[in-house]
This record gives sequence, structure tokens and C-alpha cells, in this order.
Amino acid sequence: MNIRRTFIKSTRATLALFLTGIIVSGGSTAALAVDYVPISGAGSSWSANAIDQWRRNVKQYGMSVNYASTGSVDGRNQFKGGTVDYGVSETPYGLTDNGVLDELPARPFVYVPIVAGGTSFMYNITSGGNPITNLRLSGDVVTKMFTGVITKWNDPLIAADNPGLTLPDRAVVPVVRSDGSGSTAQFTLWMATKYKSLWDSYCAKVGRNECGQTSFFPTTAGMVAQPNSQGVSGYVAQKANEGTITYVEYSYALKTGFPVAKILNDAGYYVEPTASNVAVGLLGAKINQDKTSKMYLTQELGGVYNNKDARAYPLSSYSYMIVPTTEQSAFTTAKGATLSAFANYFLCEGQQQAEVLGYSPLPVNLVKVGLEQVAKIPGADPSTINIAKCNNPTFSASGENTLAKNAPMPDPCDKKGAEQCTAGTGGAAATSTGGVVGETTGTDTTGATGTGTTGGMLGGTMGTGPTQCDADTGTCSNIKAVPVATTSLGWAATNWIILSVIIVLVLVVVVPPVLVTYAARKVRSS
Amino acid sequence: MLTDTPRKLTIIRDRSDKIFRGVVRAGGSTVLVIMVLVGSFLAFRASQALNKAGWSFFTEQAWEPDAGRFGIAAVIVGTILIATVAIVVALPLSLGTALFITEYAPRKLRSFLVSIVDLMAAIPSVVFGLWGFFFLQQSIVPVSRWISQYFGWIPGLGVTGVDPTDPLATTTVYTSSTFIAGIVVGIMVTPIVTSIMREVFSQTPVGEREGALALGATRWAMIRNVVLPFGQGGIIGGTMLGLGRALGETIAVYMIISPVFFIQPNILQNGASSVAALIALRYGESTEMGLSALMAAGLALFTMTLIVNFGASIVVSRSRSGAAS
Repeated sequence: MNIRRTFIKSTRATLALFLTGIIVSGGSTAALAVDYVPISGAGSSWSANAIDQWRRNVKQYGMSVNYASTGSVDGRNQFKGGTVDYGVSETPYGLTDNGVLDELPARPFVYVPIVAGGTSFMYNITSGGNPITNLRLSGDVVTKMFTGVITKWNDPLIAADNPGLTLPDRAVVPVVRSDGSGSTAQFTLWMATKYKSLWDSYCAKVGRNECGQTSFFPTTAGMVAQPNSQGVSGYVAQKANEGTITYVEYSYALKTGFPVAKILNDAGYYVEPTASNVAVGLLGAKINQDKTSKMYLTQELGGVYNNKDARAYPLSSYSYMIVPTTEQSAFTTAKGATLSAFANYFLCEGQQQAEVLGYSPLPVNLVKVGLEQVAKIPGADPSTINIAKCNNPTFSASGENTLAKNAPMPDPCDKKGAEQCTAGTGGAAATSTGGVVGETTGTDTTGATGTGTTGGMLGGTMGTGPTQCDADTGTCSNIKAVPVATTSLGWAATNWIILSVIIVLVLVVVVPPVLVTYAARKVRSS
Repeated sequence: MLTDTPRKLTIIRDRSDKIFRGVVRAGGSTVLVIMVLVGSFLAFRASQALNKAGWSFFTEQAWEPDAGRFGIAAVIVGTILIATVAIVVALPLSLGTALFITEYAPRKLRSFLVSIVDLMAAIPSVVFGLWGFFFLQQSIVPVSRWISQYFGWIPGLGVTGVDPTDPLATTTVYTSSTFIAGIVVGIMVTPIVTSIMREVFSQTPVGEREGALALGATRWAMIRNVVLPFGQGGIIGGTMLGLGRALGETIAVYMIISPVFFIQPNILQNGASSVAALIALRYGESTEMGLSALMAAGLALFTMTLIVNFGASIVVSRSRSGAAS
């Protein structure tokens, strides 16, 4: 059975590899490297962008780390089944999902926090032919969009969040995960905590009683379900799929070049899941500090959802690696040495890259306890790590979270009710929406794109609403209306032409052979 | 006088013959044994789910094994629909390609074309899936829209929930559909179908071809009266083999469709289902019961594919070309 399972897994692993566009090439291995053995893991696609970057980085040390981003549920199950050396998941074992208890694995394990990040809402919507990149949404509006209450983009509730935007009369198409996913679990936990009645009534409507936190999004008509973070973000990123919105880690929006919605926090500001906003948000997280607990280091996010800081992103969370603490099934000390070296790398140096990738680095306390956990892996060598040399952007001498402390306050235009910021978000940071040019919120530190696509507006004041700029002259003008071709219903002349063309085509093919056969028969009989 | 009696024939096989026969026999029977083992493994693992679901397994559309509500009505219908679209795409394509290669292409070009078609069979299905998801999907949506607008009155080609007069109507209703998955799978099975047809067409007796041509038949008349009747078995058999593969195609379908668990008869509309894609999607995430239910779905697919393939081989062996080959 394990062989069959591994076979299907390997197919899916190939898929994941292709999707993320990462094919780790064999190649330069450092000569001085310790003898590392290949290790493999599976799980969360939420954190896959970070893990993939890290495993490419450690290739230079001669480490061959494989990872299949097949979803958190699959990662937990594969770790439980012993088919992988490590799993990655946003949610711990022991939760009851849709009436099924996810039992703890028999092999001893610990959780290691790997990275923080924000579950963002990536969308694809245009107005007057120009992409909208500065959408803002409050929590209940997001919940209503994903539970079929709000079905049109021009809904007054969305308009109330976006005084500066004129949204089209298009259907809202929520794109959800079809596989068992940690992103879904994080999103549904937030909905079930903050907007319980909305979420419960939706669950009842689709025939699942009180879903609460679930890894399997219950779908209904009008929704699109796709496997993997790559699948949902890839679907939204298809130009033609206008009106779609999905929940996915911020890095996927950066990677695909699409904007994310700024979400209203409890301080009344709409914020983007940038590294610093996530770091501030997670100051409210409660980490399980009971070392004897099976849930040691797992997160409790109620304080993040209700964080009163103006800079806090409410859907921030940590992701975890599940690592074994004993030699078991195929897990040997040699593998443990590789796994712990890899974990030491990403807990220390790897965190520097979190921000660029669209995640947020771990604070020092979690790095410390994370390293302690890693030391429990058989074959681990903790002596190599000097935590002072990690250059983690959150570290400081005083122990304060530097990244959170220095996080910029949100722009006044991000305050609820105020005039809306026009600067783009996420992967579309360089594309502003509306008339104002060159405004920077200072929140985008990702460096995903340069400046300049918006520049070059010459004089004149623009009103609100969509504008169109000539690429050559840089002259912009307001668009009052966009002409669209409507198609008539019913049987018009074109329909008859099409039908007759088809009939003629069929006749051309069928008639000659029939005639010939008939003629031949006549000749023969006469 | 002695009467003539027929001499008794005894075949004396030397050692190498015996070894060869043994090896070949073992190979042949191993295939059968493996197939039986796969079938009995599936049946064994499926028994838990089948016992629980009973006959409702064939009529229930939902897929919630842990809640006890699961059946293959929706997924099997979805699988058949995808395979049907695939065959509708693949049959004319492969028939044309095979005829061109065997009858029309210049001799020099022939081997090149053959290797191109064979190369197509070597492309991993995940690549086809990526192509279908990232490229074909957005290009095919206007086609789907056009078909549904003008031929929506034909059952199965309609799309609900969209108003064609509304310029802002969402085009997402045309994505992730049976139609798109079917086209991709159709292109995937084309090489197999083509190579079987090509093989059969090229075996057409030269005497009959020349006879037809000598009687004054044009090349097309010769093809119609000699090659196609001779290759009938190959056409049907190849198509059915392609159908067998289309039924079981997994990853490309998994990537394209948006899985739904009710019978979705509208092939152009968002939402499709297939047994193989369901297994790929749920395998890693299932509980024991869920796994058993997936095995049961796999058993149903296995049986269906076997029937199709046996049907194909019977048709092929009964035809003139099949009997000869």
C-alpha cells in the first residue's frame, strides 16, 4: 500500500514541482560538505514559496531537500503514514474537521515554527479596462463574498469600503481550494471566530452543520475550486477570469503580479499583509508554552484577529514543520542530520529572505525555541548555530521585535471612511488605480516591481473614476463609459447563416458518395 | 502387405525452445496474475465502503465518505463525459493523421511524421495539464461561449447562470469544464490512436490496393474502398483503446476541472468530475473509510476500463486486419 501511495504521491510531487516552476538541478556540490543524504517532505502550499527558496539555497551545501506542496492535510497524513521525513502544516494534529478527528501520529514528533505570513485576498477585477489594484475590504464583506451573500462587485457593501472606486456589475467568483488545505483552515478559522453567524448559516445552507475551522471549503454554485495555492492563484491570474477573488498566501500575489485586498483591522485601518504588518499582527498571537503538551508551540490566533494596533494584519499566522524525534520507519540519523541542518539554516539565515518572498520573519523567541526543537531530531548538531549572526530583521539587543517596532504606520488614506489610497497592492504595487500619481504608502518593501507604469501624467486634474493614459504621450483622460458590443438573443440572421453553412458542409461531404453509389448501382442493374 | 498408416508426429523441442516457451508463458501469465491481483486488492479494500453504502453507491452523487453519503453516480458520469469529448476530438484527428501518414505523405516525410506523433505520446501528462490550465483555458473560453450561445438549445451544450446579453457577464462559468478537460485528454490520446490506425492501414494488402488503382479508382476511392474497410477493426479498436486511456487520465484532468459532486450534464459549464482525478485529489487526505470509498471508485473505473479494452480487442481480433496481425 505504501508503494501505491508513494506512486501517487510522486506523481503529485512532480506536479507540484512543475507548478512552482522549480526543478532543482543537480550540480555544484560543495566539496567540503558533510555527507548529507536526500530527505523529502510534503505539505502546505501556503509556505511552499519560502521552502522552495530555502531548499534551492542549501543545495550549495550539498543538501538535497525535496518538497511536494500537496496541501497541509496531505502533509500531515503523509508524515503520519511515515512516507515522508517531515511534514509542513498550518494547523496541528488533533483537530476535529467535518466530524473526523485527525489523530496524532504514532511516531514521536515536535512542531517547529518555520515562517510567518498573511493569508491574503488576491483578486482580478477591472474597471473601464484598467485593473483595480487598491481594493479595500472589511472582514464581514470578505466573509459575505465567500459565503454567497454578496454576489456582485457593485454591491453597496463593497462600495462602502471603497469610496474611491466604481466597481462594475460583475459577478463575484470566489475561487477556493479543492484539496485539504491549511490556507482554507486559517481562513475558515478566522471566519468562524469573527463572523460566526455568517459562517454557520452558510455551512447550514450547504448541508454541513457548524463547520467551524475546516480544511475543506464547502462549495456552492458560482464558486470555482482548484487544487493547491498554485492552482487558485494561477486561476485568478488568468486575464479572462475577471471578477475572481481567492485566499492565498501573500507571496503568490507577488509572484503572479496581482493585487491583494487591504483588510480592515480592529483599529479601523485597511492594511496589506506586508512583512511588518504581519509581524505587528502576530504580536497578538498566543503561543502554547507548555513544553509537556502535544500542542507545544502551536498558535492561538484570537488575539491577532482582534489586534488593536493600526498596523496589524488580521489574517496573520505561523506555519509549522512537523519533524520526527526518533529514528523510525525510513528516518535514520543520517536523515536527521540533514533535516536538522536544513532547519537550522532556515530558522537562522533563511529568515532574512522571508520578507522578499512575501512572508514575514519569525521573531527571536520563536527562533530560539524552534532551534531547541530541532535539537531533538536524532542526529542534530546544534553547536553550529550562533543566533546573534542570523541577521534576522526582527532581532534586537533588547529582545524587542525590531520589524514590528519599526513598522510604518498606515497612510491616513487607509483609514476607514477617508479618501481611498490609490497606490497598488501586492504584486501590482506599481500600478495605481485612479488619478493620483506617484503616491507611495511605504508599505511595499517587497521590491517586486519598479516604479513607472503610472508615471507621466501631464498636468490637469482628474476626477474620480477610471482613467486611460496614452503610452506615447503620457496624456491621460477620464473614461466616461466603455463601449461594449452586446449580442442579441434568439435566432437572428447570423444564426441562420451559421446553420445553413453547417448544413451545406454536411451535404458537401455526404451527397457525392451517396450519388455515386446510387449511380453505380443503376449502371450495374441496367 | 503392410497397409499405409499415417506416421505419428512427435515434436521434439530442444532445450532452448523449451526455455523460450517457458519464459514467454511466464511473461504472459504474469500480466494476467498482476491484473487479477490489482482487481482483488481493489475489491478487498473497497469492501468496507461497499458494505456501508450498499446499492446506493451506484446512485448517490455526493462524496462525503465520513458522513456516510458517497456514491459514484456523479463521478462516473463525469468520467464518461470527459472521455466522450476526448474521443470526439481524437477520432477525426487521428484518422486524418494516420491516413495522411500512410497514404499521402511523401516517403521521406513519413518517418519524420511518425516520430513526431510518437514524441507526442512521450510528453508527460502534467505538461498537458499545465498547457491546458494556463494556455488553452483562456483561449477556448470564447469558443465555449459561442457554442453555448448558438447551440445552447441542444441538451448538454447549454450553460446556466449566464446572460449572453450582459457584456459584464463573467466568463468564469465557461472555465474548468468537462469540455476543456476533454479537449486536453483528447489531444493526449491522439498519438496512441493514431499509431494503432497507422499500423493497421499500412498492412492493407498491396494486391488489393493495386487492383483498385488498376480498375481506375482515384486515390481517395482506393482508400474508401480498400484501406478503410480493411482497417475498420483498427479504427474501432484504436479508438476504444484511446477511450480506455481517456477514462483513466488523472493529472491533466485534476489540474483543469473544478470538482463538483452532482451530475453536471452541461459540458461547457464550470464544474466537472472524474474518478481518477477524485482519487488523486482525495487520496492523501482521506480517513480509512474515505480511502476505502476511493478504492471502490477505483474498482468501478477498473472494471469499466477492462470492459472497454476487452471490447476493443474482440473487435480488433474479429476484423480482417486484426486477424492477420
